Amino acid sequence: MILTIESPERSNFSDLIDDMFRMRAEVFSGRLGWEVTVNGGREIDRFDDEDPIYLVSVDERTGLLRGALRLLPTTGPNMLSDVFGVLTPEGAPQSPLIWESSRFAINPRVLAGEDRANANHRVNAVTLELLCGIVEICRISGIEHIVSVFDARMARIFRAVDCPFRVIGTPTKIGKTMTYAALFEMSDGMRQRLGRVGGFDKPVLTSMTALAN
Amino acid sequence: MATPRQNTLAMALTRISEAVDDFMLEQAVVSIADLYGVKSIAFLGTGIPGRPTDPVLAVTYSTDWVEHYKRQCYAKVDPVIQEGFSRLLPFDWTEFGPFEGQVRKLFGEAAEFGLGRQGLTIPVRGPGGDRSLFTITSDLGPREWHCLKAEFLWDFHVLAVHVHEKARQLGGDLIQTLKLSPRELECLQWISEGKTAWECGQILGISEHTVRCYLEAARNKLNAVSNTHAVSLAHSAGLFIPRL
Repeated sequence: MILTIESPERSNFSDLIDDMFRMRAEVFSGRLGWEVTVNGGREIDRFDDEDPIYLVSVDERTGLLRGALRLLPTTGPNMLSDVFGVLTPEGAPQSPLIWESSRFAINPRVLAGEDRANANHRVNAVTLELLCGIVEICRISGIEHIVSVFDARMARIFRAVDCPFRVIGTPTKIGKTMTYAALFEMSDGMRQRLGRVGGFDKPVLTSMTALAN
Repeated sequence: MATPRQNTLAMALTRISEAVDDFMLEQAVVSIADLYGVKSIAFLGTGIPGRPTDPVLAVTYSTDWVEHYKRQCYAKVDPVIQEGFSRLLPFDWTEFGPFEGQVRKLFGEAAEFGLGRQGLTIPVRGPGGDRSLFTITSDLGPREWHCLKAEFLWDFHVLAVHVHEKARQLGGDLIQTLKLSPRELECLQWISEGKTAWECGQILGISEHTVRCYLEAARNKLNAVSNTHAVSLAHSAGLFIPRL
């Protein structure tokens, strides 16, 4: 299941949020070797202070954090315009109908003890659940597109789960990896397609707001 | 050919784009409420650059309610204000219910002042940490209200951001229309640094009388009641040139 956590609700989910920051440190600094700031085993950046929304995938039975991502509006401070400006020399998209997804991570503990084929399967399953969650939240809120910056590894995962995207600007090598900025269409068609691939025919979001009633 | 719905949005956007001052922006908000047939709309912006007053307000309802709200210090208990600025998703006022205590009193009185019992607030984020809340209210029943939201959420998102943008732009225009002459600005800047009119004259090699004339002109352009007021306005409009 996917939890949507807005800034005023963070205190109700403090353990889960803390797990997420620790997972981000493990994945981004530990496994991927990104140049991110880790303090006390947690990766937190300045965009976490901008009151983003977190989508968090949690195992219903064990309560284990499976993965998470962060959403910010492109009209406010966001990573593509403020950090990865090099990717969109013509200017980053800025629209009330486009949000940015960043800090997408799958908890390595979900994959513990699995062989390679099964691990890939698990990565794809959690990815699909989170992607379904993004589309659902966007459909509820009237958001039409998600923009995101990602590397070649993530691009492979998106292709593996059959999630279409449209690259914008100029893909650029940052550090050792090729980095892309791309738009994802937040349509009912997209939700159905991802749901078919991942077997999520029912909504994955648990905390539906009054808008969804 | 444009559908009626697209016409509504286009008309609303035109009203916003035509606004050249805060009064017209408020009039634009009033016409948006008419176009969409909602009871009231309130725009509340904070941290908008170039604005001497914070928050920036553009509302369709009477100033009586604004005054009453301020007198009662409702901003301290109003959940829309308390939580809204750190939220991102559009939210319905029913999320805060059932109302109790002061909050119940607040929403009860709001309805008496003609604000509508249903409310939807759309948070807006600007590039420089500026934020705003765009709230639509209505007296529709739950079913009709749900339909209205479903039909126009997209429009309200777009309108919210355009009103916010316009409020930013008018802050910027303030700087433009308040263009002081180099001499007026120079005198005002020395005053801001604690110099007297006589000292300004000595520094700039002009008479004290001339300095007073420039300051008078600057006060006039800025609509300021005193030199101190003019300095404060010029400062918040970012008119002063940083000294190297």
